[in-house]
Amino acid sequence: MALTPAAFIFSILTVTTYVIANFVYLRFRKTPLNPVITATVALVAILVLFDIPYETYTQGGDWVAFFLGPAVVALAVPLYKHRELLQKNLVPIAAGISAGVLAGLVSGTLFTRWLGFTEELILTVLPKSLTTPVAMQVASTIGGIPSLAAVFVMVAGFTGILLGPYMLHALHIDSPIGRGIGLGASAHGLGTAKAFEYGPEDASMSSVAMTLAAVLGALLSPLAAWLLL
Amino acid sequence: MKIIRIVLQLLVLYGFLLIGEAIQTLLHLPMPGSIIGFLLLFGALLLKIYPLEWIDAGATFLLSFLSLYFIPATVGVVDYGPLFSGKGVLLLPIVAVSTLITMAAAGFTSQHIANRNAANKEES
Repeated sequence: MALTPAAFIFSILTVTTYVIANFVYLRFRKTPLNPVITATVALVAILVLFDIPYETYTQGGDWVAFFLGPAVVALAVPLYKHRELLQKNLVPIAAGISAGVLAGLVSGTLFTRWLGFTEELILTVLPKSLTTPVAMQVASTIGGIPSLAAVFVMVAGFTGILLGPYMLHALHIDSPIGRGIGLGASAHGLGTAKAFEYGPEDASMSSVAMTLAAVLGALLSPLAAWLLL
Repeated sequence: MKIIRIVLQLLVLYGFLLIGEAIQTLLHLPMPGSIIGFLLLFGALLLKIYPLEWIDAGATFLLSFLSLYFIPATVGVVDYGPLFSGKGVLLLPIVAVSTLITMAAAGFTSQHIANRNAANKEES
């Protein structure tokens, strides 16, 4: 990681933008104002406006992204706190998450292959339902493009919270376990935030599902890439 | 004192990450070192090797800003603008449909099995 003026300026700029974006979101609480989206748009606008290459920006960005790895490790703590819920519903949770992760990997690979996308892009789409830090690291491990993977993770998250509730309703998935596991396994953190609106049990299920789907997805993505490509 | 505790616990989390990355490199595993670190910490907590109180404050602090850490990556989309003006735009509906399939499979399976288990318990 660089210790340059650019590193200093752009790490401060990233944090400041995030703080403002978060403040705006907390003030209005509208889904499209999700701080990841608004902060990204603002920073992209600054880079384009001032003609700053992404390589210059990442000197500072790297300092912020440094915390991704430890944050993935830290996900073990909320999962551990939910261990009783996990133990009590081990079979339905494990089965639901396995089904979801497999369905996601297979459908993602097949659709992108049918439309003739390059291997690099297929591998980038593959981890879309995993929580962003894990998805990015998985993408870089299997040969995809991490920053693009993060974009697809956002697309998956917004699809899940905007269209997901209609689909859950249509399929009569109406129990806390069904809704929570469905939202968490497909739409990760955004889905978990949505699950909070259904109730605390949905939220706990979704949080467990998000973490377990990330672990299972990280284990199975390389295998899926190898089998399906 | 709380700040010192959080900083020390962040260092422990970083330690788990380093061990995970070392294991990944040594064994040539195709999964991220952070996931290996996650599994090690989860295992250590479950087996009561490492107490929750020694990691809780740091982990909770770190996770409360989780979305900040991946903003530098999402900003990287600035280099991929042309992709989405061509055929690449099709990747968006693909991701959306595949996400809904994932949700349906996960939600339906877990609810179905949970209901069946509950029915079995009532019968017995």
